[in-house]
Amino acid sequence: MPQFDIATFSEQIFWLFVIFTILYFLMSKIALPKVGEVLERRQKNIEDNLGKARALKDETDAAIAKYEAALAEARDAAQADIREASEKAAAEQAKKTEAMVKKLSKKTSDAEKAIADAKTDAMTGVAEAASEIAREATDKLIGVKVQAKTADKAVSAIVGE
Amino acid sequence: MAGPLEQFEIKPLAELSVAGIDISFTNSALWMVFAAVLVTCFMTLSMRRGALVPGRWQGAAEVMYEFVANMLKDNVGSAGRKYFPFIFTLFMFVMFGNLLGMIPHSFTFTSHIAVNFALALVIFIGVTVIGFMRHGTHYFRMFFPEGAPIATAIILVPIEIISYFSRPFSLAIRLFANMTVGHIMLKVIGGFVGLIGILGVLPFALLTGITVLEFGIAALQAYVFTILTCIYLHDAIHMH
Repeated sequence: MPQFDIATFSEQIFWLFVIFTILYFLMSKIALPKVGEVLERRQKNIEDNLGKARALKDETDAAIAKYEAALAEARDAAQADIREASEKAAAEQAKKTEAMVKKLSKKTSDAEKAIADAKTDAMTGVAEAASEIAREATDKLIGVKVQAKTADKAVSAIVGE
Repeated sequence: MAGPLEQFEIKPLAELSVAGIDISFTNSALWMVFAAVLVTCFMTLSMRRGALVPGRWQGAAEVMYEFVANMLKDNVGSAGRKYFPFIFTLFMFVMFGNLLGMIPHSFTFTSHIAVNFALALVIFIGVTVIGFMRHGTHYFRMFFPEGAPIATAIILVPIEIISYFSRPFSLAIRLFANMTVGHIMLKVIGGFVGLIGILGVLPFALLTGITVLEFGIAALQAYVFTILTCIYLHDAIHMH
């Protein structure tokens, strides 16, 4: 097996060290720092962009908060207006209702009074008519002329029962 | 027809020798150069623009970077950060070596025990030095687990010492065996395809499957080699 030919060991090992050492310096001095630098730059760029995005987001959040505060303020103002208007309307309504009630009760009492008067009139009329009918009836039936005063008394005694 | 072991032969391309030691530039060294050049091109050309939004190649290079960086972070923690270039170079070098070996008529330098063992030995010595530098003589506690009864030391200490010193062997031999066996298998089964005429479709189908498997093994063994290095590094930095 050529692998065990000791005569070839020195030349293999010599060139291995020479080439490996050169490659090591090429990698450690030129290639790897470049890759590291590019990766670092990319990382930094990403972080920068993230930072920028975060700042923008904060700004947006602040604007949203401001907008919401303004909105809440406007809503409060509007609600106060509505409350005021509705209170005013309610007060006016109450006043009108009261006036109407007063007017209606006055009308009712007037009407009641008129009815009472009419009733009294009617009752008086009925009593007069009754006493007259009674006098005429007694006159015709028994020929006795009853005095108006006596008939009135008798009628009012019956009606009054 | 070439034998299945011929693909592992080391062929000198330029004879060189310093102080009597043979350091000829061979096909093994040539493919190491290819791997190093490809890794370098992949990691530099793709990152040339350094775009914020990566393209395909840049994305691939970044994936490799983050893959190894996460492997190191998960296994060693932040203390392993300064060994990242070494771990990354190790992973890319071994993986490209394994993958380049999948090209027909190429050479797989990671199929050679000398290369793997040299890498493993560097890791072993480096990890041991890091352990002693961080913990001083307390690092010898590695050989006797915390909280074990003192009477068990007579069994545990030799076991721990053997397991510690077998690390470079297990690292080197695992990679060598996987690469060598896979390539021999491909070669042997590939030999059948032409030999048995129309029936050759059967080994050919098998060969196709094994080739896919071998690509997986090429990447997986580089990963195993690297993650074991990370685990050894973890032991050296944090002890058990």
